[in-house]
Amino acid sequence: MPLLRLENITKDYAGDGEPVRALNAVSLDVEAGEFVALMGKSGCGKSTLLNLAGAMDFPTSGRVLLDGEDTSSLGDAGLTRLRREKVGFVFQSFQLLNTLTVLENVALPLLLSGRRDAGAALEKLRLVGLEDYGARYPHQLSGGQMQRAGIARALVHEPRLLLADEPTGNLDTATGEAVLEVLSRVAKERGAAILMATHSLESAAITDRVVRMRDGRIEGIDRH
Amino acid sequence: MIPRLRVFHQLVLRPMLREPARTALTVFAVALGVGVVLAIDLAGTAAAGSFHSSMDALAGDADLEVTATGGVPDRVAGILATLPYDLDVRPRIEDFATVVASGRTVPLIGVDLLKGGLDRKYGSLTVADQFQSHDRKGVVWIAAGMGAKKGDRIALVVGERVGEYTVAGMLDGDAILMDIATASRDLGRGDRIDTILVKTPAQPGAEEWARRLQSALPPGVEVRPQGSRTSENRRMLAAFRWNLRVLSYIALVVGAFLIYNTISVSVVRRRPEIGITRALGASRAGVLLVFLAEAAVFGAAGAVAGIALGRAMAVGSVRLISSTVESLYVSSQPAAIEITGASVLLAFTIALVVTVLAALSPALEASRVSPVEAMSRGQREYVAQVHKGRDLMIAAILGAAAALAWHGPPIEGKPIFGYAAAVLLIGCSAFAIPALVSGLSIVSSRLLRALLGVEALLASRSLAASLRRTSVLVGALSTAIAMMTAVGIMVGSFRETVLIWMDNQLKADLYLRPGGRTSADRHPTLDPGLPAQIAALSGVVAVDPFRAYETSYQGLPATFGSGNISVALRFGRARFLSGRNAEDVLPELRGQDAAIVSEPFANKHRVRRGDRIVLPLGDRKVAFRVADVYYDYANERGYVIVDRATMLKYLPDPAASNVAVYLRPGASANTVRGEIERIAAGRKILILSNSNLKADAIKVFDRTFAITYALEAVAVVVAVMGIAGALLALVIDRRREFGLLRFLGASTAQIRKLILVEAGLLGLLANVAGLALGLVLSLLLVFVINKQSFGWTIQFHWPVAVLAGALTVVYAATVLAGLYPARIATRLNPIEVVHEE
Repeated sequence: MPLLRLENITKDYAGDGEPVRALNAVSLDVEAGEFVALMGKSGCGKSTLLNLAGAMDFPTSGRVLLDGEDTSSLGDAGLTRLRREKVGFVFQSFQLLNTLTVLENVALPLLLSGRRDAGAALEKLRLVGLEDYGARYPHQLSGGQMQRAGIARALVHEPRLLLADEPTGNLDTATGEAVLEVLSRVAKERGAAILMATHSLESAAITDRVVRMRDGRIEGIDRH
Repeated sequence: MIPRLRVFHQLVLRPMLREPARTALTVFAVALGVGVVLAIDLAGTAAAGSFHSSMDALAGDADLEVTATGGVPDRVAGILATLPYDLDVRPRIEDFATVVASGRTVPLIGVDLLKGGLDRKYGSLTVADQFQSHDRKGVVWIAAGMGAKKGDRIALVVGERVGEYTVAGMLDGDAILMDIATASRDLGRGDRIDTILVKTPAQPGAEEWARRLQSALPPGVEVRPQGSRTSENRRMLAAFRWNLRVLSYIALVVGAFLIYNTISVSVVRRRPEIGITRALGASRAGVLLVFLAEAAVFGAAGAVAGIALGRAMAVGSVRLISSTVESLYVSSQPAAIEITGASVLLAFTIALVVTVLAALSPALEASRVSPVEAMSRGQREYVAQVHKGRDLMIAAILGAAAALAWHGPPIEGKPIFGYAAAVLLIGCSAFAIPALVSGLSIVSSRLLRALLGVEALLASRSLAASLRRTSVLVGALSTAIAMMTAVGIMVGSFRETVLIWMDNQLKADLYLRPGGRTSADRHPTLDPGLPAQIAALSGVVAVDPFRAYETSYQGLPATFGSGNISVALRFGRARFLSGRNAEDVLPELRGQDAAIVSEPFANKHRVRRGDRIVLPLGDRKVAFRVADVYYDYANERGYVIVDRATMLKYLPDPAASNVAVYLRPGASANTVRGEIERIAAGRKILILSNSNLKADAIKVFDRTFAITYALEAVAVVVAVMGIAGALLALVIDRRREFGLLRFLGASTAQIRKLILVEAGLLGLLANVAGLALGLVLSLLLVFVINKQSFGWTIQFHWPVAVLAGALTVVYAATVLAGLYPARIATRLNPIEVVHEE
């Protein structure tokens, strides 16, 4: 059983008149430890797919199975539990809270799930090379450092699935490469699957598979 | 014009309509503030203006009024009539009568109908009627709505007796009219009348006529322009109305904080928009105007709603104010509440001035935004600058200024400096709050996280991060709480002082007074023989007949009274400002032209022990030496008390206004009461036990301050509504954060808890700041403002239970104010809000 299975997924959004179909009959399996890139133009359905995979939304039809659990069968509490235990998110615009220190930002998923494990947050900061920056606030970091802090936060609760939406989109090439290197290393070391939406061929080049999307459908899959 | 209207719609109205709930809350907060001010103004005018209509009912077009303490001897009318001038002399008796059927009390005016002492504009009373009525004793003219018509019989309580009268006709004024001879007989006035109104020829003017008539009359009889009593009463009521007005503005001040916050939020949110419009050619003045216009729209909408609210609240307040006026000052007959052009103007003026002034600072800040900076940094990164150090410095300066103002003297009986000190203290607190919020959130965030979890950490950090917004909200709520605390402590202290005073002062077992309506300026009398009859009862050890008269001292009304010094020495425990005992002071009054005066009288007229005061008594003026000043909380008019024998020397009417009855040890109060009722059969007499009298007094006290509590409650409601509105704004501004938290594993319950904890923290900070400020303000109220306004010494007392209850309710309301914003926050779509930018 793959870690993530999307079975014939369709997702419609309410438009002004007719519903807008964001995903159309998408099926995809992602194995544990695998690094998969989603490529395609803006609006092709990459982010929608990530949200469905991350138990943030329900498909209109089809099934999303995360570590064997059908997200459609879960209520709000169930989805929250699934995210807390199994999913980590990395965002294009980092999404760190300015009112918290870097260490507190990283520890936030643990705190939200009622765990207090400062050691785990520090360890993840060390993993991304920010162990000396824990007491700083996000605005005192560079873009690359902020994204590394974002990755540390996504990993702090040891998720099985890491979802990254354009993680290098706001970074220069060198910093972007460094961030991708961290992501790739983590996937391998931790055995976590990574599903990354990206426009960048360079970014996609370091992944195990590239899923090409167009108009809400999977156009093709390339293996490296 | 049209393009400007379009711009107004796009830049001002549309953003307001985008958030209808928050806009409605802000408008309602302004409306409540305006409504309260208007209500107090309307109700104050209706209640305090009513003595004018009572006293001057059917006064007509007289120019002068002739009065004397204890009544004008009726021979004075004869003296006036025989003067070689073309005078129209109209003797009058003025009192109140109660319509038995309805229980309604209205002014009773006795005039000489034969002389045609009425102005023709009053009703259908014709000259023919007047002549006919002369021979018809027991007839009255009444106003419509008194439950009887021409020809009916109507039962009235007049003096201490119930009488049946025939309705001879209807009047336009709200009064009962009867012939002066009938009134004098039924009210037991003897050879004295209450006033004589005089119509003089136009030349050589009222002042000269007053001088000429005065020179022809005995010295104790005063000739003054007609309406002088009304003016005196108005002057006496000025401080009361002024204090009430000031209190009514508190809700508006709290509302001003909230307008400031609303416009600040608007400026922060619309920074990119400001940048774009500035880049497209909008001037600084244009940006300033947009935000001032936004505030003005809130003000105008608040004024419209406030007028309706004010009218409704005035209806509720007028009875309370009226009963306070009556208990403490003067007979009051509430007039109708009328919304006039002036009321509308007042509502719009205060609403627009307060909202536009409150918005000025954030609007100026908006106008100074650099277009490039605004567009590049965006709204999220913009953090309003708060200069804690500078603010603390300003707070210290304001505090020092408040300390100076604290010691300022009253100006025309009004504690202007006291109120200035209060405003300065509120300002001092407002400027100190950012440091308080910042300091407390740093200290408390770890503790809060340990106690309440990660939501508390996020909430406290968020409050500290948006320091300016938080400070304004805490400032608004803490001001309301401070005023509530201060007034609560002041009233609680006052109440406790009055209770202790009553325990010391009221030692008799039974108290008698004529039935019917009472008020501070009315002293109807009992049958003169009654005290002696009661004293003869076997269960009675002593009686103290107290007689009171209305008098005037230095242009202000006062009460001149007398009691039995021997009884007072035996039973009373009056306390004196000098610290002397009653045994040392009271004997000085025996057989002497010496008086003790109440503390409010002494303070109002700056009279001290040993001074001499001159009072017009009967037809002469008498100088009394002030033997001492005694603590008194009965009413605010002020008392001058002399020995009964001294009073009888100048005003020989032996009737008592009320009688204190002391029982023999072991005698049954009920038995004696039954015996007194038998003696007084057929008369309207009220017999109160000691505990009943105290309970009645405390009821009056509580009713007096009910309006004060209501005003504080409205201010708190406004502040809590502001918290709700601000939390709504906060949810909208921080939606990305809430969305992100959902991504990171936060449940909806955690989001809700976060908002409620934030509301709770705001409430906690406001309670801490409000309690501290309230304590200082209460000292100011008790020892400066009250003392200068009313002249009472109040013992400081903490009404712990009341305060704890009130603060708990306010705190709970603040937390509950977070429920709706929390609901909104939990319903946000995290995917949408996180990907908005």
